[in-house]
Amino acid sequence: MTVAPEGRRRVAVTGIGVVSPVGVGREAFWAALLAGKSGIAPVSSFDTSRFKVHLGAEVRDFDATPFCRRLDSGELGRASLLAVAAARLALADAGLDPAALAPETTGVAMGTTSGEPLEIERFDDALLGAGREGVDDGLATRYPCHRIPGQIAAELGFGGVNIMLPNACAAGNYAVAFARDTLAGGRAEVMLAGGADAFSRITYTGFARLGAIATDRCAPFDRERQGMVPGEGAGVLVMEPLEAARARGARVYAEVVGYGLSCDAHHMTASHPEGEGPARAMLQALADAGLQPADVGYISAHGTGTATNDRLETLAVKRAFGDAAARVPMSSVKSMLGHTMGAASALEAAVCCLVIADGWLPPTINYQHPDPECDLDCVPNVARRQPVRVAMNNAYAFGGANASVLFAAAAP
Amino acid sequence: MSPEIRVVVTGAGVLSPLGDSPAALHRALCAGTSVLGPVEGFAVDDLPVRRAVELRGFDPARYLGDANFRPLDRTGLLAACAARLALDDAGWSAERVAGAELALLVGTMYGSVKTIAEFDRRGLEAGPLYVKPFDFANSVINAAAGQTAIWHHLRGPNSTVSSGNASGLQAIALGADLVRSGRAAVAVAGGAEELCLESFLSFCRAGALGDGDETPRPFDSRRHGFALGEGAAFLVLESATGAAARGARVLAEVRGHGAAFDPSQGREPAGGAAAVARAVRLALAAAGCEPTQVSAVSAAASGARNADAREAAGLAAALGERAATVPVTAPKGLLGECLGASGALQAAALLAAMAAGELPGVPGYEAGEAGFPLRSARATPTSVDLALGLVDAVGLDGPCCALLLGRAAEA
Repeated sequence: MTVAPEGRRRVAVTGIGVVSPVGVGREAFWAALLAGKSGIAPVSSFDTSRFKVHLGAEVRDFDATPFCRRLDSGELGRASLLAVAAARLALADAGLDPAALAPETTGVAMGTTSGEPLEIERFDDALLGAGREGVDDGLATRYPCHRIPGQIAAELGFGGVNIMLPNACAAGNYAVAFARDTLAGGRAEVMLAGGADAFSRITYTGFARLGAIATDRCAPFDRERQGMVPGEGAGVLVMEPLEAARARGARVYAEVVGYGLSCDAHHMTASHPEGEGPARAMLQALADAGLQPADVGYISAHGTGTATNDRLETLAVKRAFGDAAARVPMSSVKSMLGHTMGAASALEAAVCCLVIADGWLPPTINYQHPDPECDLDCVPNVARRQPVRVAMNNAYAFGGANASVLFAAAAP
Repeated sequence: MSPEIRVVVTGAGVLSPLGDSPAALHRALCAGTSVLGPVEGFAVDDLPVRRAVELRGFDPARYLGDANFRPLDRTGLLAACAARLALDDAGWSAERVAGAELALLVGTMYGSVKTIAEFDRRGLEAGPLYVKPFDFANSVINAAAGQTAIWHHLRGPNSTVSSGNASGLQAIALGADLVRSGRAAVAVAGGAEELCLESFLSFCRAGALGDGDETPRPFDSRRHGFALGEGAAFLVLESATGAAARGARVLAEVRGHGAAFDPSQGREPAGGAAAVARAVRLALAAAGCEPTQVSAVSAAASGARNADAREAAGLAAALGERAATVPVTAPKGLLGECLGASGALQAAALLAAMAAGELPGVPGYEAGEAGFPLRSARATPTSVDLALGLVDAVGLDGPCCALLLGRAAEA
């Protein structure tokens, strides 16, 4: 079922690097998620007194200096710093020394929602403060979002393909899909793929204005859910051809066996009312992998915790999975991580890999009131021991971009 | 995966200060028309640089009909209009599009940094309750891709691509891959970038816009920096068999592409040149072509002091002896540096050059530094039997992309 078409190489995930609101590094991240630990707390990085909401999922006390060995950490934006840290952690987790990798065939694909929004904030603070005289070159040098994968490659010395796919909250999945095709087609030997975003007042202001932010808890799929909680972080996967990974005796978390991409072409911030686009992405991913809905043992939900997302996402899974939907566990780690924006689907891709490798499902925490419109198995409140062979990672973005990626235990 | 799927270009759309079709852009480039002028879109009187290549009098209704454009910002409108022109050129009517799942790839460096910054300033000045939800929807970098997909009902894979100045060309490369792998039957791929205070002021502060308002001189030893421009361009890519089945006119074939990165991010000349060379070599290898087969090069050179030198050295390394004889054009001398749209504009212009058998020159070029390897560079147009065109995109800070377009007759 997971045999690659002729001439295409199978692609494995061999390293996981995470900087998240619940912890830095794969082990801390996974232990926290299985323990149902939340990274959500009152916002500390800016004053929220003018807002009606105050919760955020920030990465606190993050020190980038140990991760920036070649670059000057003072010259990088925060999302780039989070990303560089996650990249180094992922390589270490994969047992790869960056200096030992062939620079020309090692590439980076990243996703983001906002790039380096703190640079825009600095620009605006300067403009409204000292005026134009106070503005520096930050928007030309540090802000552009391609700097995030660029800084990873600069820090690690990689000269292969380097791309940012800034597809908002589905961006990490697009990056993993791009890396998979790049490796499968022989255009790179190792790819770092993931996503990163920095916590910002811009993002916070926007979601607050939409009335989308939860006042006191993030409770996806709960009837009394209040909304999402903006967050930040970075997740990076090390991906390489399965054969090469096995040849070097690497631990293989999972194989990337398929993906599907679609666009609602319906509304910028509202999903299609019948979940048409997301269902199409799921079905494409299944077809790409040669799998049936019943083969899927776990879904990492987009699961933001807003009234609309969770209802329509449930509808979309039913539309794609049919009867099998009732039997597949689908949890939302955003209940603990908040919505880390461009990092979200990368962190959730890491979750899918860990579910397959470890045989535990992370819970949806804060779940109290069943909602008939969100009636799938959300693994309420407590992690569950359950072997999984195939996991699907679903992500949906502003602009109507949908992406589903399928991971599977690597069969011989 | 069907490696035998060949990818052809069936349409091209251009919105630029030099014209709103590939042919018009090509004619202006050949004529050496410069529209570099005082910026009108925002106040510049207190800035060291006051001129840019600005798209003036842009009226989206001319391309999209009379409609409510309020939900779209300038970047979104540039993308939606140029995509419309490309779809029309390829014969993809709205009815035909509705029955398919077209992919959309939008290269952009900034999205609309203006929209995001104004949204933030409104929140700061009026308070967070007074920002506009419309503006927030456009505050994601992929807003133009979402808006364009909605406008034209493009329901296939939808991705924004950011590789700095190489974004637009990288988007075309990704679109070609989606078609080649069978993931999309048709892809609309290109780039869009708007001129705005936010990026203009920051590039001024970075000193990248050189010593003022003189016309840029790509590759010339007297070059002094680039001018900022704006615009959008898209190509329609589809499988050769699909195009043939619907009787579509084929403009060219995407023969191959390559991408590389300079980990010194533009700081080390040798590393930068090597990245340019790797991207070009990968494109040639993917196309199964030799440097001697390259009929012309559309260079990324913009008048930037260091980036132009890196590109010339990289092209020389990859093309070998052919570098001395290959005809070269550098559209950014007249278009300005359109950032994420540049590579797509170059590709669209090269398609017109292919059809016309004439390659525009390198604006303002008289002589490069001693040993400048692209010895056939000249300011005036050259007659060229353009069977295989190389489009080169070079980022200021690392990303490089090269793409080969083959004439349809050779496809």
